[in-house]
Amino acid sequence: MKEKIIQIMSEICPGVDFATETALIDDGLVDSLDIVNIVTELMDVFDVEINVEDLLPENFNSVDAIAQLIEQLQE
Amino acid sequence: MAFTSWEFLLLTAGAAVVYYLLHRHTQWPVLLAASLIFYAAGGLGAMVWLFAIAAVTWGAGLVLERMNDARKALSKGDKAGQQRIKRRKKAVVAVTAVLCFGLVYVMKYWNTTVALFPAAVERVLPRWDFLMPLGLSFFTFQSVGYVIDVYRSKYAAQRNPAKYLLFVSFFPQMVQGPIGRYDALAPQLLAQRSVDWRMVDRGIQLAMWGYFKKMVIADRAAVVVNTVIGENCPYGGAVIFVGILAYSVQLYCDFSGGIDITRGVAQIFGIDMAENFLRPIFATSLADYWRRWHVSLGHWMRDYLFYPLSLSKPFAKLGKWGRHHLGGLPGKILATSAATFVVYLVIGIWHGVNFRYFVYGIWNGSLITISMLMEHRFLAWKQALHINDKSRGYHFFTMARTWLIVLFGRYIGSSPRLLVALSLMATTILHPVPSQLWDGTLLNLGITGTDWAIIGLGTAVVLAVETFQERGGKVRETLERQNGFVQWLAIAVPLIVILLLGVFRAGYISSSFIYGQY
Repeated sequence: MKEKIIQIMSEICPGVDFATETALIDDGLVDSLDIVNIVTELMDVFDVEINVEDLLPENFNSVDAIAQLIEQLQE
Repeated sequence: MAFTSWEFLLLTAGAAVVYYLLHRHTQWPVLLAASLIFYAAGGLGAMVWLFAIAAVTWGAGLVLERMNDARKALSKGDKAGQQRIKRRKKAVVAVTAVLCFGLVYVMKYWNTTVALFPAAVERVLPRWDFLMPLGLSFFTFQSVGYVIDVYRSKYAAQRNPAKYLLFVSFFPQMVQGPIGRYDALAPQLLAQRSVDWRMVDRGIQLAMWGYFKKMVIADRAAVVVNTVIGENCPYGGAVIFVGILAYSVQLYCDFSGGIDITRGVAQIFGIDMAENFLRPIFATSLADYWRRWHVSLGHWMRDYLFYPLSLSKPFAKLGKWGRHHLGGLPGKILATSAATFVVYLVIGIWHGVNFRYFVYGIWNGSLITISMLMEHRFLAWKQALHINDKSRGYHFFTMARTWLIVLFGRYIGSSPRLLVALSLMATTILHPVPSQLWDGTLLNLGITGTDWAIIGLGTAVVLAVETFQERGGKVRETLERQNGFVQWLAIAVPLIVILLLGVFRAGYISSSFIYGQY
């Protein structure tokens, strides 16, 4: 799952090392436009519904956090 | 009651003394009383609208909380019940938003809308003759944000109407924001505290920094702007460009200066309000510029308009259509680009009902959307041309590019009509007449050579401080590490500068804040 998430994110935000970064939002590496592009792609690929309430920095600061969010939503 | 009036200083000082002298349980009512006095000074009629917005949003918060509780009480399997309550909650938010923004619309735009109709219809339609209440759109954004947060179960609703009214009406934020968030602001407003001299000292310094920007720089630059920018401008392009530069300096020092006064006054009461500016001069793209300019509005738009819009069903359908028909990156970001465009259009229209603001919104929305679509192409070009995008030179190039784009937008923002803006742009490029820069024309724009020097030096000081901050420096922490004499100078020198160059200068009339009208 993580490889797929990294692939999605790298396509939308080229030039960011998604495998190691842990403060994507806090450090401004990913902005709100990227977030929505990433979220719509994640919803499409993983067939989950991500709501506005889920768009919190802590859910998108790292690939691990995103993977955890998707797993939660898939349950 | 203007920030630049003695009454305001008196109100702030009086409220601060009473605030810290009284029993801690009565501290928040002191802030509420000061806020109501501040607002009432602008006219009792305006208070009706303040109370109306506060009452509607307070009531909506309570209704939504009851629905949240009812939803929690349902079993997880009761999907139909969950959906029913969700629909009702949405209806409550929709009605609240329509009532609140409807009032903003009627206050700001009704008479202009009526004028668009043919004369026969125009005569029949009623006119709206109430004066626009101070800070209406700012406290409306703040209150509707609260309602949506309660809808999203982000926090519990405030049951006490007086405490809620303080959140809506806290006096330093009533002129031009910043648009505060309930969970960040309300606990601070309602806290019980004893005097923290370090915070009071910092508050006074920040407010003085704001007065310096507003009264010493912005109000001088305003004279140039009012002389140069307008219908039938008689000047050559070079002087017009100087006028646009003066407008940029004025707008930034006026708005950010006002916010510094707001945040400084709040700090005197121990309250830390939201940042509204992150040194936009250092922005490296237009999107970055808007992230740094009017931050609290940008965050409001992101959380309460952009996110819900982007994830809504129509935009999801648009996204699917894009992926299917366009493919590649353009297909993937079509829906987000459309939502971005809508947000910038809304921000443009929020500034006023004038075709030029509509074009201003389209200008910003289009450029940001295009740069998103071109991002991969830009990267490829940079690699092909062996450009090191980490170098200082490239960084400066991106900043300069952003200044040019922003300055172009400033022509639209400063002119009374779009045609005037276009004519000023055309003159700037086609008839520059650079000799007007040194033949004495600049000294006939309403200010003297000394005033020009003060604007130049003042702007240089602001830039120096912001460069220090951009590199991670903390101005007030650095000052506090100095000896007592230097700290004393840090208060005395700005005070003397503001008094001599701002308050007591001949013929000085402080203009109201530009963003106060929005």
